[in-house]
Amino acid sequence: MAAKGDMVYAWSTNEDMLAKGECGGAVTALLKYALESKMVDGVLTVKKGVDLYDAQPVFITDPADIAKAAGSLHCGTLLLPKLIKKYFNGAKDMKIAITLKGCDAMAMYELAKRNQINLDNVLMIGLNCGGSVEPGMAREMIEKKYGVNPDDVHKEEIDKGQFIIEYEGGEKGIAMDELEEEGYGRRLNCQRCKLKIPRQTDLACGNWGVIGPKAGKATFVEVCSDKGAELLNKAEKAQAIATEPPIPKGLEIRGKIEKSMFRLADKARAHQFGALGDGEARLKFILDETSRCIKCYQCIENCPICYCEECSTKKSHLVAHGQVPPPFMFHLIRYSHIADSCINCGQCQELCAMDIPNSLFMHALQVEMEKMFGFTPGINMDLPVLALVEEKTERARLSSTGTDQIFNIFK
Amino acid sequence: MEFKYVPTTCPFCGTGCSFNLVVKDGKVVGTAPFHRSPVNEGKVCQKGANANEFVNAHDRIKTPLIKKDGKFVEATWEEAYKLIASKLGQYSGEQIAVIGSARASNEDNYALQKFARCVMQTPNIDHCARLCHASTVEGLTQIFGSGAMTNSISDLADTNCAFIIGSNNFEAHPLIGRRIMQAKANGAKIIVCDPRRTATAKQADLYIQQNSGTDIALLNGMMQYIIKNGWENKEFIQNRTLGYEEFKACVMQDKYSLENVSKVTGVPAEDIKTACEWIHEADKTAAVYSLGVTQHIVGVDNVCSVGFLQMLTGNMGKPGTGVNALRGQNNVQGACDMGALPDSLPGYQKVSDAAAVKKFEDAWGCKVPAKVGITIPEMFETFDKEPSKLKAMYLMGENPILSEPDIAAIDRALKNVEFLVVQDIFLTETSEYADVILPATCYAEKDGTQTNTERRVQKLRKAQEGPGIAKNDWQIIADLAAEMGHADKFAWKNASEIFDEMAALTPLYGGMDYDRINSEGLQWPCPTKEHMGTKVLHAEKFNGMPDGKAKFLPIEHRSPAEVTDAEYPFALTTGATIWHSQSGTMSRRSESLNNECPRSWIEINTEDAKELNIKNGDVITACSRRGEVNAPAKVTPDIKKGVMFMPYHFSESRVNLITNPSCDPVSGTPELKVCAINIKIPKEA
Repeated sequence: MAAKGDMVYAWSTNEDMLAKGECGGAVTALLKYALESKMVDGVLTVKKGVDLYDAQPVFITDPADIAKAAGSLHCGTLLLPKLIKKYFNGAKDMKIAITLKGCDAMAMYELAKRNQINLDNVLMIGLNCGGSVEPGMAREMIEKKYGVNPDDVHKEEIDKGQFIIEYEGGEKGIAMDELEEEGYGRRLNCQRCKLKIPRQTDLACGNWGVIGPKAGKATFVEVCSDKGAELLNKAEKAQAIATEPPIPKGLEIRGKIEKSMFRLADKARAHQFGALGDGEARLKFILDETSRCIKCYQCIENCPICYCEECSTKKSHLVAHGQVPPPFMFHLIRYSHIADSCINCGQCQELCAMDIPNSLFMHALQVEMEKMFGFTPGINMDLPVLALVEEKTERARLSSTGTDQIFNIFK
Repeated sequence: MEFKYVPTTCPFCGTGCSFNLVVKDGKVVGTAPFHRSPVNEGKVCQKGANANEFVNAHDRIKTPLIKKDGKFVEATWEEAYKLIASKLGQYSGEQIAVIGSARASNEDNYALQKFARCVMQTPNIDHCARLCHASTVEGLTQIFGSGAMTNSISDLADTNCAFIIGSNNFEAHPLIGRRIMQAKANGAKIIVCDPRRTATAKQADLYIQQNSGTDIALLNGMMQYIIKNGWENKEFIQNRTLGYEEFKACVMQDKYSLENVSKVTGVPAEDIKTACEWIHEADKTAAVYSLGVTQHIVGVDNVCSVGFLQMLTGNMGKPGTGVNALRGQNNVQGACDMGALPDSLPGYQKVSDAAAVKKFEDAWGCKVPAKVGITIPEMFETFDKEPSKLKAMYLMGENPILSEPDIAAIDRALKNVEFLVVQDIFLTETSEYADVILPATCYAEKDGTQTNTERRVQKLRKAQEGPGIAKNDWQIIADLAAEMGHADKFAWKNASEIFDEMAALTPLYGGMDYDRINSEGLQWPCPTKEHMGTKVLHAEKFNGMPDGKAKFLPIEHRSPAEVTDAEYPFALTTGATIWHSQSGTMSRRSESLNNECPRSWIEINTEDAKELNIKNGDVITACSRRGEVNAPAKVTPDIKKGVMFMPYHFSESRVNLITNPSCDPVSGTPELKVCAINIKIPKEA
């Protein structure tokens, strides 16, 4: 019986899933079991859309359909949690299993603490993620750097620091370092990311640390909650999956991979934040870049922190209606409302119609604020520095306890 | 619960972005990024982002409506078809005018022009390209042999210099504006010429604020300066063009000297010099234009002059160069391609070409009128002035009472139409005049294709059922054709069959079939099944020209049809905002868009406002020789002194009450970009 904190190698007992799923198909098997056993009503995950470069969210209620979503897509840059808020009523009236990269997992917590998602109804299957590649850029990179027609590629993976493609007539890998130095490779926010193993989910799954006879044939699963332990144990009991203890050397390797990724991220942060400049120079850079804004609202629409019914950027006394580019106040509102909780998911940059490096600005601010206030977004249910406070509630708290949220921050 | 994404193409502008429609339990509930479009790579503007909002608006038309005693009464399809068939059957071919739609799909427009030519036997078919880029189609065909954008959207990012004239692409084609910004980030110089300091102009490295209607003077002046400096591309001129000497003699006249041109255009000579220097220094210059160039009585000549600048400097036939005409609506390119034009069968095969007509007659099994029909302005003028000549009109997805110039005349014309059928997704200001209104499905409810400004044929994919008993436009037309005894020629089961019939008859689309159009689309010309489509036109030669060479012509500056005088001292220009599209039928039903921009305005230069004692927000009346319209003043230094601007989307403040219907004599495109007005300040009530 596995318990919170345990780690195992796990694989599907189903032949088909073993073959189709990634690393022994454990995640596919767990999701299928969760549906079959009615632990959840549906599974929200990602499947291949029109091709390898198109990740599409899919909501599965029939266990037989789970296989459609098997396999990983490194060109999938979606963020799923906001879909739960927008289209699944925040999981308030149904139980949902969801697959989550690090940024997805952080987004779940930030939406949950704002009462936008009911985590009690969500089974979180975390997926280790070393970063993802924008689909358009992936195709360009494959064409120009690999000299391969992107339509001929039938599989891509990120392994041992390389981006590897398999295509008609061959396999080719190029070191991520080299790609990223030339402006290709992972998204800039992924390069800065330090959440590679999402331990705030129920089960954190990945291939790092699977060595020996099971290498490539099993998934490394870290049990991160009681709910996760329950799913794993029941699935094993029902013979949906099989497990064995990890090889100690494998554990060590997993730790090393994670550490080396942190080092890379620190380097990327130093490099990218450094290029922003300081003080007035930074402000000027931000003013210049945001002067291209056409106010399409995609940064707000796709931000997992934004949830307000009445967005301040839509109040005409703060931001004049209809003006393009909008006054700088539009961006100031975003920075002041979001920066403490920014989880660096990159959506605001990737989906910006004018390629404004929004995520870079916001993440740079977040990192500074984390140093100042000690709040780390996305890892637990702790409230952010600038949590929305109800004035009446806070006044009542102040009079009865002599303290309130606002003053406590500045202690 | 059913939850799915359906990738489709945007119904708003000619950029042709893709996005996913989010479908929940059979209903469209949102949009989401679709990363696999080479046009927009997952990004969208606010119109695309909110393109779901009007789809399920409460006031979609759900059944056919027949006007009885001045009121619209719900009817069955059978009743509607019977009535239309019997009415249209009473008229002979040329008494009928048909208007296609730049909003509808290629299949819808192909079906409609076939219906007009085959069933109604009328040559009178046109659509709103007349209003915007007919000048492009005419002009670029004259000089290059093909009337479309020469290059691709993505290659604008590779240019070293963008010469933008009369295009506010930041608002009208934002995801094309993005490519120009990518070029800028790579070090390209951006030149924007526009009487308004638009959102696009604010991004420019060099902003040229010419007087409205002086584009030819500006361009001729630039070309004279380029030639004087010996910066023309002699090799390109020698090998790939004809008519250079006559052209040169024209632009070298003293009236196009920098000094004189500076006077006419109001642009400092130094700035004109700088523009020329940058174009000279750039390895590749891309010219970008839109309605600011085409909507003039010299629209065709303006278009040609932009072309000449590119020919003169050898900026043709390579990525990052070319003449990039940005088409307005989602499928205005396709509606032209499909032959919803009075002089062209599908693929610009001319009705004046007996062999082309014979080809279609053989394929369709009917007679095809071998005669050039009348254009939209001519249709309305005839209904207005000679109603005995034109009796009936079939109108699909257009709203001329808002979009055409001089609305008072359009009102008279529409009242004179004996029998008017309007097919649309919403009741419009125009449908009030109809005898029968037919409910059509919208983009989210149908399969089909549309063609964007860079000639890219892309798919629309059905995401939900239409409202009530609405049908696809092409299906309505096919049903009606069947009712009128032509079932065999319109026996399509789906959009795919129509597309394939069209492609087989249209060499530009000849290598395409419906199943070949994948998520990246395919750019015409695509002559064979193996052909991968054409990103850049005219790479080796100008195929549509008799000798394969582009043609220079001597073109002189001419003043607008209506110039300012003591009585009407201001020039009015019109245009779009990023928040709305065309007559607003779709965008104004989108809450997110309309909340940002709920009303019209009139832009006035700060100094003019001071002289007239007008404050920002004052409601003022703009008057021309044709009428008057009220709007709140937007006082801004961004518009040239002496020039005013109004957007054209607002039915409650119709700028076309005052615009000038004078047209370019060749293209029939009205001069919506300049007319003379004065300002009255309404007395306090």
